[in-house]
Amino acid sequence: MSSATREEVLRHLNTVGYIQPALHKQTHAPSPDEIDHSLFRAYTRPVHDVGGEADIPIRYEEKEEEQWELNTFATCECLAWRGVWNAEERRRRQNCDVGQTQYLGLPYYGRWLLTAARILVDKQYVTLTELSDKIYEVKKRYE
Amino acid sequence: MSKIQHDRTHHAKMATGVGDPQCFKGKAGKPKFKIGDRVSVKDLPDIFYTRTMVYTRGAVGEVVELVYESPPAEDESWDNTDKSEWFYSVVFKQNDLWPEYSDEFSNDSLETELSERWLESA
Repeated sequence: MSSATREEVLRHLNTVGYIQPALHKQTHAPSPDEIDHSLFRAYTRPVHDVGGEADIPIRYEEKEEEQWELNTFATCECLAWRGVWNAEERRRRQNCDVGQTQYLGLPYYGRWLLTAARILVDKQYVTLTELSDKIYEVKKRYE
Repeated sequence: MSKIQHDRTHHAKMATGVGDPQCFKGKAGKPKFKIGDRVSVKDLPDIFYTRTMVYTRGAVGEVVELVYESPPAEDESWDNTDKSEWFYSVVFKQNDLWPEYSDEFSNDSLETELSERWLESA
């Protein structure tokens, strides 16, 4: 394995550390009796239900869609047209199933695109090994 | 394990030329509430999925419109479209939703759509 790959792996492990929830206590692998009703409700909420949560203002920017975003939208609409999902299933997957880290951390159409790939795997239209082989092959073209 | 067979066309067939949620018109039966009714939002479990915002639970509002019939989001999001229910547009006073909302703006309101399973008479 090239050292470029090792460098990326080590950088990745550092990056993951940055995006862990910044709660000021140890939160991983709790015993069952450490999760009371309030925490259970908080952990199991649909993560898109953010109304009323404390946050800081986000800067609003007027911005046109990029080409890949338009392509992503068209792909997702075709998946609906061909009966792979309906709009509500798409929203459930891209807004809740992705989990809080991805919901808050990825760009809007990034979640659409990731979810389009995910449903094709979930519903067995492609296998994960076919998908990852293809991604690997395409990535090689740009090296 | 054999592959799950997904019906890839039934939703498109239902909605083609009609629209969604129009394709569910007449499927929800008699509406439980009418315009002007005071309703409160039930605190149903919301694991996995809902579109009923948590900040509305337990709050009292007024029905201002019966908007359409549709499977509730919690079912449609897994493609369960056999059972439809009425959706209501409900208006809340912002004062009733946010404890720290200034009395200076006590006329402010918030309108949102909720399906019948979330509502009870207040």
